[in-house]
Amino acid sequence: MLSFITRRIAAAVGTLFLSSVLVFLAVQALPGDVATQILGKDATPDAVAALREKLKLDKPAWERYADWVGGALHGDFGTSLVSGKAVGGEVSTYLGNSALIALVTVLFAVTGSIVLGVLAGLYRDRWPDHLISTVSLVGMSVPEFVVATVLVLCFSVALPWFPAVVLYGPDASVGQLLPAVWLPALALAVVMAAYIVRMARTSVIDVMATEYVTTARLKGLSTWRVVTRHALPSALLPTLHVIALNVAWLVGGVAVVENVFNYPGIGKLMLSSVQNRDLPTIQAIALISAVVYVVCNLAADLATMALNPRLRTRGRTR
Amino acid sequence: MSDIHHPGRRSVLTAGLASAAALGGSWLLTGCAGAEAAPVLPAAAAKGAPDRGGTLRIARPPASDAETLDPASSLSAYEYLGALYNRLVRIGSNGELAPDLAESWEPDAKARTWTFHLRKGVTFHNGRAFTSADAAYSLRHILDKATASPQAAVLAPLIDPAKLGTPDAHTLVVPLKTPNAEFPSLLTHYNCYVIPDGSAKSVGRTGIGTGPFKLESFAPAGPGRVTAYTDHWAGRPVLDAIAFYSVADMSARSNALLAGQVDLLSQTNLDFATARVVAASDRATIARVKNAQWYVLPMLTTEKPFTDVRVRQAMKLAYDPEHVVQVALQGAGTPGWDNPVPPSDPAYISAHPKHDPEQAKYLLKQAGHEGLAMDLYTSSYDPLFTPMALAYQDSAKRAGIRIKVKTASADSYYTQIWMKKPLMATYWFTGRPVDQLFTQIFRSGSSYNETAWSDKGFDAVLDRARAELDDTKRRELYGEAQTLVIEKGGAMTPMFADRLVGISRKVRGYAEHGFEFDYLGIGLKGA
Repeated sequence: MLSFITRRIAAAVGTLFLSSVLVFLAVQALPGDVATQILGKDATPDAVAALREKLKLDKPAWERYADWVGGALHGDFGTSLVSGKAVGGEVSTYLGNSALIALVTVLFAVTGSIVLGVLAGLYRDRWPDHLISTVSLVGMSVPEFVVATVLVLCFSVALPWFPAVVLYGPDASVGQLLPAVWLPALALAVVMAAYIVRMARTSVIDVMATEYVTTARLKGLSTWRVVTRHALPSALLPTLHVIALNVAWLVGGVAVVENVFNYPGIGKLMLSSVQNRDLPTIQAIALISAVVYVVCNLAADLATMALNPRLRTRGRTR
Repeated sequence: MSDIHHPGRRSVLTAGLASAAALGGSWLLTGCAGAEAAPVLPAAAAKGAPDRGGTLRIARPPASDAETLDPASSLSAYEYLGALYNRLVRIGSNGELAPDLAESWEPDAKARTWTFHLRKGVTFHNGRAFTSADAAYSLRHILDKATASPQAAVLAPLIDPAKLGTPDAHTLVVPLKTPNAEFPSLLTHYNCYVIPDGSAKSVGRTGIGTGPFKLESFAPAGPGRVTAYTDHWAGRPVLDAIAFYSVADMSARSNALLAGQVDLLSQTNLDFATARVVAASDRATIARVKNAQWYVLPMLTTEKPFTDVRVRQAMKLAYDPEHVVQVALQGAGTPGWDNPVPPSDPAYISAHPKHDPEQAKYLLKQAGHEGLAMDLYTSSYDPLFTPMALAYQDSAKRAGIRIKVKTASADSYYTQIWMKKPLMATYWFTGRPVDQLFTQIFRSGSSYNETAWSDKGFDAVLDRARAELDDTKRRELYGEAQTLVIEKGGAMTPMFADRLVGISRKVRGYAEHGFEFDYLGIGLKGA
């Protein structure tokens, strides 16, 4: 178990390093740089040269990368080339706002989809199953920005219950953001839930067909007890992995949805910094996304092991 | 946001489905009506007097995460400027110069020295009196290299910052390096707002000016608020306050309007589909800014085959601007006939060669380019680029010109395509005075000369016009300059488009033209 964890962590660090190199190269390959992107039509040669010098863009690319890595290792992610603020502070402000959405989304998606998945599994091939399966398939197939737009039309435009967009900047308080969190979270949860519902349904069907469930039923236990005490723990196991992967997917999904809602989160910051070619900010965001991805996967693997005695013992005997 | 409550889940779902059906239904109606729906877009905003007071909420695209309130900067937060500051001279609704902080101005006999007589009794928001020192300082600030102002390129060849004269507190004397009878018009640019003497370092945050509103708060690429300045020299504005919100995504901006979160979308030309949805809403409607957007298909005159003037002429004769206006604008604009001067400009001439595909064919044959094939680049940067390119492609077919429309990425369009590809689609906001328009975008060697056109004869006409103090004769010379651009230049101007502005049904007194926005008169009714 211990050696497994150390190997996984070593691989994770390697993944992080590789992703930082790849992101750096990708941004270098994009046409234009901060100076031309900020100035746009006003990018006269003089103005561009002045801005490049001010932002130290005249140094070679590898040197700028080395500078960045050196700073990052000491916890200094540099300053944004556009706003001139410290990247660390700026990214964490936006990240905090996104975490609010992510938290609500995960709560919605996980509880909702497990309940629906179990229901579908229990009523296999009857109307609740057909309804839940069809709706979740549709949810899986429709892109999140379409779901988001439909939600805005229904619950902001037609029925003015929720704000359509966030009008505050990144420094908004939780109280200011809270009314605006529900629609983006719902949009993300709909897309995310589909996978979890399918997975939960399949595993419930599998578990309900096993001998120990049959035995429990023969003992005269109520369906409710059979499901909650015996079926659910085993059925949750394969679902865990899907949940973890979906949480990692959130990092990307949030980028699109946040822009639809003008929500001041990490996804919106990412889009504007890519458009501006603001390298230090992009690097920091990429690093955070990679960390989330790696940690989610690691957590999924560890949780699976913790819950599955066979995997756990195999690790020990080796 | 206190009016938002959280209803139960069941009612959310049922009501939501019902409203989705209703919305879908209304879309189907507008969609199916097709040609009949075209005139549905209103021609003007609601008329009538606004109520006194209220807060207008404006959604705006942020200039950059590094935007500033310094009017001279290329990253200025444009919407705030007209509310916070005044210029010396502005452009009136008839296209002629109108007094702002300067009450009158006159040149010497050779148009080499201009004297501005400044308004008395004007105060800045911090209570200090406005004097000629502030006016001179504002000009020096634009010319300062450290400011890197886009307008410096226009003014630096004319003004020596050390020679500005302030004989008394209300007179500004500007000696020019070369004669320029149109000089005051160059001060109407939105970089030329007047700031307090010595405020270069702070004005980007404080926004202290003489305008009808004073700054309450401002965050770059974030929200901000200005409140009525009761001591404004032209009287108090109708509104109590204006709240500005930064919304980068265009569809998010229109959603905010449809949901009633904002009252006006600035710098946003809605596409026709969105405009129809907005116009059909009971909260919002469409106002138009006539001929606000000048659309161009620039041909790079330094790239083959556009080095040959006959090819450029053929490209222009080959297409029908009326067709482009009908197809790309659904009639909401004016055919340009390759004249970059908007029809509302006092110097505008209406004469132009007729659409003549046969002559175009003949010219191409002469130049050895029969059946010319060209790539025309567009992007989603503006919703009208691609329709315009497709309409051109369609129209130019009759002259045997084969156009292939290529779509490039919007976020690097102005760094990779503009002034780099021989043929592309682009636009400018109209509102430049005619001298600045020609000097900045058509004169040899100018940094915005997007066709890289260089014509000594044209430059000479501009010089003569600048030295001509007789208004009638000067306008004739600018007419001559227009003829030269139409006949020999590299820019095709298929159309001037009305900007379709999303606006709340409560807004009254909305008036915008060129770079002028009436912040004094705009207000709300029944808010």
